[in-house]
Amino acid sequence: MKLLLGGVLLAAGFAVVPFFTARNDLLNLGVQIFLAVSLAQSWNLLGGYGGQINLGHAAFFGLGALATRILWVDGVPLFFALGAGAVVATAFGVLIGGPAFRLRGAYFAIGTLALAEILRITVGNLMPEISTIPTADLASYSLVPRYYLGLALAIVCVVLVAIVIRSRVGLGIQAVREDEAAAEASGVGALRHKLLALALSTALVGLTGGVYAYYHVSYYPQHAFSPGWTFDAVLISFIGGVGTLHGPILGALFYVILKEFLALRLVELHLLIFGVLFILVVLFLPGGLVEAWSRARRLIGRRG
Amino acid sequence: MLEVDDLEVSYGALPALQRVNLRVGRGEIVALVGPNGAGKSTLLKTIAGLMTPRGGSIRWEGKRLDVEPPEHIVECGVALVPEGRRLFARMTVRENLELGAFTQRAQKERREQMERVYILFPRLREREDQLAGSLSGGEQQMLALGRALMGLPRLLLLDEPSMGLAPRVVESIFAILAELHRDGMSLLVVEQSVHAVLTLAQRAYLLEGGKIVGEGEGQTMLKDDHIRAAYLGPLARGTA
Amino acid sequence: MILTQQLVLGLLVGGLYGLAAAGLSLTFGVLRILNVAHGELLMLGGYAAFWLFALWGIDPFLSLLGIGPAMFILGLVLYWALFQFVVRAHEELRIKNSLLIGFGLTLVLHTLAIHFWTADERAVTTAYAGAVIRVGTLAIPLVRLTSLVLAFAVLTALQLFLARARWGRAIRATAEDWEAAALMGIPVGKTYLLAFALGTALAGIAGGLVSVSYSISPSIGLEWTLKALIVVVLAGLGSLFGCFAGGILLGLAEATSVVFLGGPYREVIGLLLFLIILVVRPQGLFGGRA
Repeated sequence: MKLLLGGVLLAAGFAVVPFFTARNDLLNLGVQIFLAVSLAQSWNLLGGYGGQINLGHAAFFGLGALATRILWVDGVPLFFALGAGAVVATAFGVLIGGPAFRLRGAYFAIGTLALAEILRITVGNLMPEISTIPTADLASYSLVPRYYLGLALAIVCVVLVAIVIRSRVGLGIQAVREDEAAAEASGVGALRHKLLALALSTALVGLTGGVYAYYHVSYYPQHAFSPGWTFDAVLISFIGGVGTLHGPILGALFYVILKEFLALRLVELHLLIFGVLFILVVLFLPGGLVEAWSRARRLIGRRG
Repeated sequence: MLEVDDLEVSYGALPALQRVNLRVGRGEIVALVGPNGAGKSTLLKTIAGLMTPRGGSIRWEGKRLDVEPPEHIVECGVALVPEGRRLFARMTVRENLELGAFTQRAQKERREQMERVYILFPRLREREDQLAGSLSGGEQQMLALGRALMGLPRLLLLDEPSMGLAPRVVESIFAILAELHRDGMSLLVVEQSVHAVLTLAQRAYLLEGGKIVGEGEGQTMLKDDHIRAAYLGPLARGTA
Repeated sequence: MILTQQLVLGLLVGGLYGLAAAGLSLTFGVLRILNVAHGELLMLGGYAAFWLFALWGIDPFLSLLGIGPAMFILGLVLYWALFQFVVRAHEELRIKNSLLIGFGLTLVLHTLAIHFWTADERAVTTAYAGAVIRVGTLAIPLVRLTSLVLAFAVLTALQLFLARARWGRAIRATAEDWEAAALMGIPVGKTYLLAFALGTALAGIAGGLVSVSYSISPSIGLEWTLKALIVVVLAGLGSLFGCFAGGILLGLAEATSVVFLGGPYREVIGLLLFLIILVVRPQGLFGGRA
């Protein structure tokens, strides 16, 4: 309940920011945060709650971006373009999900990584030119609608994952993560649940890619397939608290803000810091920031 | 002298052994019998160091074993011939034997001990360069036994040595165990083939549901009604 | 003929693929962990060779004598600091955790490399770098041929170690059945440490050969990790020479695709092969276990 209240307040807080400032850098920061939350939360559904480490997350982000960009630049209404992006990503995900899930843990992870790389290279070869918004639309480009779209996306991601996790399907997904054999034995179809988690995960990240495509004035299509997006999703999920609802949110805030702060002085070093933090989290604090926070509260509570 | 005192072992939250007390004297053959799932393998594995007990202690010749890793326990002179033999199937007979002598202590006498093992099991010498996985069941058991002997043990733990073997082969294995015993080896043998082992053993323990429920001389246990009913089967009870 | 020339070049690089894969195969086979930072370790070896040459003029092939042991020690440190915690879990969790730890290590090493050495490509250009052996119409670069021979020699030496030496056998036994190995008196923890350090040393040596035969930059890490993974999956576990053969197979496949599909799709063929083998025959072409 407290979490829900906190979440609503956070969302409301972000919602009113554009009324107080027209500063582009703040609005951009906001969009970065919303994209990060969506990127991580979508990964967290399959990776955290489902226990399937998907290292090809960028592939679906890229596909969503690609489909949306092509359609929208061609004049298709944004709503349909975004929808198409999500559909393409999901279709692809479900298509490879079947054979991919036959592979045991590690092989699934590197299999999806290989897939993402294949897509990145192919797209890079087929569409090497930069994609730019047509000049007519450039004049009317405004950050504010993109800001709110990003916020809506982040809210949708969090709310959808929250609903699914508490549903029967969600419980099944987590049961499969805990003990696949036991889940199967009690009638929970492991493959079916993994595919469902994958489908929703790819749909959400496809949507995120679509918003990314709408947001950027110009970018190289293959950049949306870069493994860096997967890295971001994994880092944020784990550092924030993998397998929790608010972990990716906390992680995204922490990640984007720290990245901005460090970008002023030490350009790429944010990755170094996060890499080290990530290792520490995996080894010693698997619950990430969420766990650190609750441990700190207990410690303070005992002293008080 | 092996002293197991009040041993408690669990698999996570599930207790497997509860307050187990057991002794194997110097140069004794002791049998451990009981139904499937009683915890016999668990006990041997714990003595060998593959599992850590939650409580109690294990001592061999006065030294605490339960706090040591498996490699130290082998150095101390305790060797386990595990259930199913667990040979290195993709290595040759010779390589398996040489691996048995990995410890410092055993390395020194490696060549002599290998000779002794070959004399004990001439068939192994014949099959020296064959892959362990290609041996017959009986030969594999001999190799497993020989491999354990390479470590120069003074206490040999055997987990179901007769499993999957033809009666004649079982006889020859037990004959070899008897010979080792005559040469001074202490043995703790877990067996399903109750008849054979109780004839060989001087003393026996009955383990059921993780607890020692019976103890006595080998021959006496053989005549015990409880054991006869449970393990010698319907024939003993007169039902079919 | 262009195809033959490409095939020869593919063969030459294939040996390095095999060497890179051998290190990964060793750690995967023995410790059951997937160190996805393997390519980054290879990169470190490459940079070591580069700087030893650039700063002190040490011949890169000679510097391997130093790089090998240095990377071995790095492997000891990495195992002690990170991977020893990973092997405490059971197999399923081990692989997952090693993936994650390797992932974090990749980020750290990659970022450090960019920070210290910039993103520029480097190559070791010795006096004899341009030497070429001509066989008919084929041109065989001497440096690459030497690298192939050295890669093969290193693998042979390792194979001998695993086959004859006491600790080599201990490694094989632990890889097959660590509990049975423990019962022999083999200290499993130390065996893991040794295997991991050897794997790291192999990566470093491969990296040194890459820097003199091709070029290195911070971004080759992921590329070579994938190459190594592809070969390990192609060849299956349990055979070092299988890795070598698998590497050559990959090199030849890439060469063929370059001729028919063009250079830009070179990486794709390997990745596609990888996926196909994973789905169709996960135990690899020569392998024993999946």
